[in-house]
Amino acid sequence: MARVLPIEIHDLTVSYQKKPVLYGVDLEIQEGSLVGILGPNGAGKSTLVKTIMNMIRPNGGYVKIFGKDPKIGMKQIGYVPQRESVDWEFPVTVMDVVLMGRYGHLGWLSRVTKYDRQKASECLEQVNMLPYAGRQIGNLSGGQQQRVFLARALAQESSVYLMDEPFAGVDAVTEKTIVSIMQNMKKEGKTLLVVHHDLSSAKEYFDQLLLLNMRKVAFGPTSKVYTHELLQKTYGGRLAVLSEMATEMAKSPELEL
Amino acid sequence: MNFFPVFDLNTIFLVPWSTDQLVQWNGQVILMGLLVCWTNGILGSFIVVRRMALMGDAISHGILPGLVISFLIFGSLEIGPMLIGACSAGLACSFCIEWLRSHTPIRQDASMAIVFTSFFAVGVTLINLQTDHLDLDTGCILYGEIGLTPLSPDLLFMGLNCGNRSICLMGTVCVFVLLIVSLSYRQLLLTSFDPTLAHSYGWPVKLIHLGLMFLLALSTVASMEAVGVILVVAMLVFPCVTASFFSERLPIILLITFPLGILYTFGGFHLAHWLDCSIAAAMAIAATIIFIIACALSPRGILLRLK
Amino acid sequence: MATVFLQAEQIVTQDEFDLVDRAQRFLLLKDESVQIVVFGSVLMGMSCGLIGSYVVTRKLSLFGDTLSHAVLPGIAVGFIWSGEKNNISLLVGATIAGLLGISCLSILRKFTKVQDDSSLGIVLSAFYAVGICLLTRIQKVGYSDQSGLDSFMFGQASALSSDDLIGIIIVLLLISLFIVINYRELLISGFDPGFSRSIGIPTESLQYGLWALITFCVISSLQMVGVILASALLVIPAATASLLVKRMRSYLILACLLGAVAGLGGAFLSFLGERLPTGPLIVIVSGALFTVILFLHPQKGLLIKWIISRSENVRIARENSLKAAFQIIEGKSFEDTLISSQEMMRKRGMSSATIEGEIENLCKAGLASKALHQVSEIKLPRQTRFTLTPSGWEYACRIVRNHRLWELYLTNEAQYAPDHVHEDAEKIEHMIGEETVRQIERLLKNPRRDPHGKLIPSITDIQPVAISQET
Repeated sequence: MARVLPIEIHDLTVSYQKKPVLYGVDLEIQEGSLVGILGPNGAGKSTLVKTIMNMIRPNGGYVKIFGKDPKIGMKQIGYVPQRESVDWEFPVTVMDVVLMGRYGHLGWLSRVTKYDRQKASECLEQVNMLPYAGRQIGNLSGGQQQRVFLARALAQESSVYLMDEPFAGVDAVTEKTIVSIMQNMKKEGKTLLVVHHDLSSAKEYFDQLLLLNMRKVAFGPTSKVYTHELLQKTYGGRLAVLSEMATEMAKSPELEL
Repeated sequence: MNFFPVFDLNTIFLVPWSTDQLVQWNGQVILMGLLVCWTNGILGSFIVVRRMALMGDAISHGILPGLVISFLIFGSLEIGPMLIGACSAGLACSFCIEWLRSHTPIRQDASMAIVFTSFFAVGVTLINLQTDHLDLDTGCILYGEIGLTPLSPDLLFMGLNCGNRSICLMGTVCVFVLLIVSLSYRQLLLTSFDPTLAHSYGWPVKLIHLGLMFLLALSTVASMEAVGVILVVAMLVFPCVTASFFSERLPIILLITFPLGILYTFGGFHLAHWLDCSIAAAMAIAATIIFIIACALSPRGILLRLK
Repeated sequence: MATVFLQAEQIVTQDEFDLVDRAQRFLLLKDESVQIVVFGSVLMGMSCGLIGSYVVTRKLSLFGDTLSHAVLPGIAVGFIWSGEKNNISLLVGATIAGLLGISCLSILRKFTKVQDDSSLGIVLSAFYAVGICLLTRIQKVGYSDQSGLDSFMFGQASALSSDDLIGIIIVLLLISLFIVINYRELLISGFDPGFSRSIGIPTESLQYGLWALITFCVISSLQMVGVILASALLVIPAATASLLVKRMRSYLILACLLGAVAGLGGAFLSFLGERLPTGPLIVIVSGALFTVILFLHPQKGLLIKWIISRSENVRIARENSLKAAFQIIEGKSFEDTLISSQEMMRKRGMSSATIEGEIENLCKAGLASKALHQVSEIKLPRQTRFTLTPSGWEYACRIVRNHRLWELYLTNEAQYAPDHVHEDAEKIEHMIGEETVRQIERLLKNPRRDPHGKLIPSITDIQPVAISQET
């Protein structure tokens, strides 16, 4: 009896203002995979992540998380968002942020327990940020901020993790830390889906790659997928007529009010 | 013409508390002021950290037509109809702003400006068309008259005399707000900081936002008699912003609201006694002065940083 | 000047003239005071519309609101200074207060970590509080002739003097000049400040210039709209214009026009109803215009969109039926053109009730006609049979053509597995419009066969198949 897949996507289509952003995407992620998602800008990577997290409703096809609808299944996913989306002036400390990762386990009126604090400290330790626990998040460097959010995701104790460009704009130390944590998580049997922006490092970091450009260009083990031909199809060569038109739209001189 | 009265310490600070009668009267005024500051200070902190400071301004303007219409429908200025009218209008205002922002090309700031000014304009026009009947006058709306709080009739609830109506209402709202905030602190915190994570937990993020707007409308109505719709904004914004100069953690900021409220109320009260002007305006001025002091002198403020 | 002003006061207090008469007097521009009001409201509306275009596009709506509240203490101080309601001193005071408010905002932004929206809240309430404090003080001290101050709260168009009119004209000229001279620079710096700075455009100065003009505009409109609602006229006409046009030039003109209409309308209504303050009425007029256009605009109005989407669904359902019909006929190698409802049910995977409904719709639209005679066979369930009319056939071919081109494109260019392409017209319509399909066609050089080897009907192929009418 086959186990339920962490993430199963069939014929997923998402369009925006009569232009397809994702078209007919099929995907089956096995447990314990470490998958990197690659593709040019505007190719639908973030859209894919957001659709899995039930923030966007697809026009066609479906997403299943452990066999369930995203509305229910998303609770089992640890989501690490892009760093730009955070308000760094917010009056919370590093520890406060990591504790937020525990909220999903608490009832509406329950208090934060000792175990929660302990777990939060452990996760901070894992990312080498425990000394900063009392600091307000605005007083951190880019890499440190990213590590805090990773700690928060770890504190969620999910089995599936979705990360949106975790390596963007971080220093080398942080990058190494994140990679080693991802490897550890994989060893523990967690499933990771990571949107990545850098082609060269993708080859080392991930076991499997998903090449995305509005449609699934390829998905499979890195060694098989990371080929010149497939990368060419994803990033360059003949652009899809539609993404050409989307680019034309973006260049339009009309004032967008 | 002597514009500024003489600054006589005795007159300003001691006389108001000199006789029993005065103490009773002014005591009620002070109590009302404290309740207004505390309630709006707590709510306002969440509004400010959500970067929606002017939403408080918008909602407080938006409730006006609700008040007038409920008066027209129910024919009385009783609390019940007032609250219903105001909260409905407040929620409608918030809903319209959100709808405009998401369904049209109009952006957030323009949506707010369009909706609340229109609502407010409708309210003011309705009042002006009804001057013979309505007890609301525009002055009351614009800056309230907290000094007249003791004149409020007593509240009769199910046959029991609860005392001064305005204070009862504000007190109830204050307790209600404090209760909700302490029970749902985590929810308010996370939805303010990271709605996406909250959403992924399956929390009803939009509902919580509406709940906050509802509390805001409630608080504005209750505070309106005292400070008017526009000065409510001062009470919403100043505590959190001032407290931010002293702490970088939200729970502490919320706690600092209480001593700040005391300073605003007493400071404003005595300032108004000196200048013989609107107490509500004086409270807002006191808040401004304290803000400037905090801004200049605190470790995170200007002067020390310039050094 | 003073006599004109007194006359304006008199207009308001006329009790013997009734509504129609007053309307007539307004519209016929008989009195000089009425002329002033009309000119004043139109010109002020134009200023607000023009500068409002920049307020809305640069997200300064709440800034305008803050500014209009912040001028209150200036008015109060001006009054105290001159000891009477001297318009000049009031307006000078307002200007100083406004500029002071802007400075405070800049200081807060540059030297503190206070967020932009909070700074606006702080400046708005602090300045306003000082203003109210001074006003209540003035009331207590009991200056003579302080009634004029009330008109600054909500505006009173009938109290407009010719001095005020001159002020309004000057502001309009200033704004127009500024916009005309700096049109391109404003456009670029509004769209991409970083870029404009890099090519040497004085972006900051332009911004301060705009802020100053916003202040002047607010002040010139105070007499008509009042402190509380002055910002509304900056935002609403421009926002309404943004629903209709996208090009900056037409946007400016339209906002200007809408502002003028709102100003005039409000002044007119205020004139009709005695003692009604102008400000709220102007806002209501502009708000009403906004709402009307939002819902009823020919292409983009929400009501229209809703109606269109309803008919869209009907059209899509119809196209799916037609396509299914075509495929059924094709399956019979174009020999038998009679289609039964049972075949449709199988093809579409829907219930018989739905299919019957669809066939009805097709017939109603003149795209199909039911066979009049039913083959009576024992034990076979009763079914409807129909054929496609010539126009139905043409429509079906057109659709099939578009869809198959799309399929071909997907499989050839986008490498989809051939069995993975949609059958549903809705999805395809959602994705791509007619325009796209034509483009694909050109790209693929008008192919004849789809990935399954099926015919892609070309325009010349579409001929009405001989319909055999069973009698």
